[in-house]
Amino acid sequence: MKEDLYRDIREAVVAGDRVRAAELARAAVGSGLDLLEVVEKGTVPGIQRVGELWEQGEYFLPELISSAEAMKAAMAVIDPVLARSEARTRTAGIAVIGTIEGDIHDIGKNLVASMLQAGGFEVHDLGADVALERFIDKAEAVGAGFICLSALLTTTMINQRKLIGLLRERGLRDKYKVLVGGAPASAKWAEDIGADGYAENAVSAVKLAKALAGRG
Amino acid sequence: MSLSLLELAKDREVLLDGAMGTELMARGLPQGAPPEIWNVDRPEVVAAVHADYFAAGSDAVSTNTFGGSPIKLAGHGLGDRAYELNRAAARLARSAAPAGGYVAGSMGPTGKFLRPQGEFTEKEFEDAYAEQARGLADGGADVLLLETHYDLREALAGLLGARRVTAVPVFVTMTFNILPRGFFTIMGDGAARCAAELEAGGAAAVGVNCTLNSEQMIGAVRALGEATRLPIVAQANAGQPVIGPDGNVTYSQSLEDYVRHVPALVEAGARFIGGCCGTGPAFIRAMAPFVVRGVRA
Repeated sequence: MKEDLYRDIREAVVAGDRVRAAELARAAVGSGLDLLEVVEKGTVPGIQRVGELWEQGEYFLPELISSAEAMKAAMAVIDPVLARSEARTRTAGIAVIGTIEGDIHDIGKNLVASMLQAGGFEVHDLGADVALERFIDKAEAVGAGFICLSALLTTTMINQRKLIGLLRERGLRDKYKVLVGGAPASAKWAEDIGADGYAENAVSAVKLAKALAGRG
Repeated sequence: MSLSLLELAKDREVLLDGAMGTELMARGLPQGAPPEIWNVDRPEVVAAVHADYFAAGSDAVSTNTFGGSPIKLAGHGLGDRAYELNRAAARLARSAAPAGGYVAGSMGPTGKFLRPQGEFTEKEFEDAYAEQARGLADGGADVLLLETHYDLREALAGLLGARRVTAVPVFVTMTFNILPRGFFTIMGDGAARCAAELEAGGAAAVGVNCTLNSEQMIGAVRALGEATRLPIVAQANAGQPVIGPDGNVTYSQSLEDYVRHVPALVEAGARFIGGCCGTGPAFIRAMAPFVVRGVRA
């Protein structure tokens, strides 16, 4: 029976049906299931399947966004109950994210924030046109492991480099994994500026962050 | 103007221009500033870029209004100046045009999503584009160019909004990625579907720009051509941006390699050909002999 429920939750996430995902999560809570198992066998494999469909070119942005929303709707039901039972889901990591100073573009950044959250990260989204100091101050304040920087313009991505310089000046460079993204960014760029990684899209951003989190 | 731009395209391929933003930055546009503000603050600089493109051989240039929708301008606190900035831009391009030179009113994406992914309704997008189109048409644009669109619904809203306020022909270019199943926008709109729906929506020309380099774009032009009888626009990127250690930006496709594929773009059916990111007047000058081949016999 519970295997059926896990399957239904997976399917609701893959279908991007947030109403059904939340209903099923409530059913799981109501029937007293092991909620950690619900997450491990339901929501997480669901969102992983969505990532695969995206990488295969079967899913596009609308599907990705809907599925991330369905995932979040289910977790919004499950997380508070888990917290009360002190059997918290393990946070994949804490990330501070924003579009860099001088740049107002936020579509890609919003999507990465959403997918990171769906992927189990605690995400602090600072919005767009974020001053360099704010990234660092926020990361310090919330105890983040990741600082994620978006830039859509070739003129503003220079600030991704500046932020890394600022971290060095403040003696904080090794405390954070700095991830960069945005249309003009590349793996080569990340390497050139001494970032910890680059992801081409929101799905690979989650993979990258998880891989780096695993390495501590 | 004796001959309309569409009539000209019946006789021969038409040469458009290349990038605007990078040209303005090279002339001192500050980082983060909306380029559209220079239509009123530094009009002589914008006009000089247009003049460079006309001198390089462009039949038509695009106005400095890519980010000129009221929704996009609102991000810079300029939302209520959309009409003024767009009209000024079209007048500027018009003033820089030699006899026989045309002006295309550029209308890029709002940068926001429609519901359910975003907060906006199609009506709100339609109204925003209508406002921009009104400014461009009043300023003397010969055609409107909805360009670099990644959401067919947004492009259709723009088309509807523009056609509501002006009889000026509307061209629409979408930006596609190459996937195993063909050319798709990030929203999942395939090339053939875009061409068919935009034609049904009353576009005067459809096309593809940005993202793809000139070689990759050949297939996209073909895919559009299989789905529409409208003239096709092609404005390729010079590959991908590469940022040097000192912050200078170059693009991965050389001028020579870019131009090498232009004859194949024409062969594939492109009627309006220009450049996008990474291209400048030198590219246009080098493309001219392959595009403007004189009136057909």
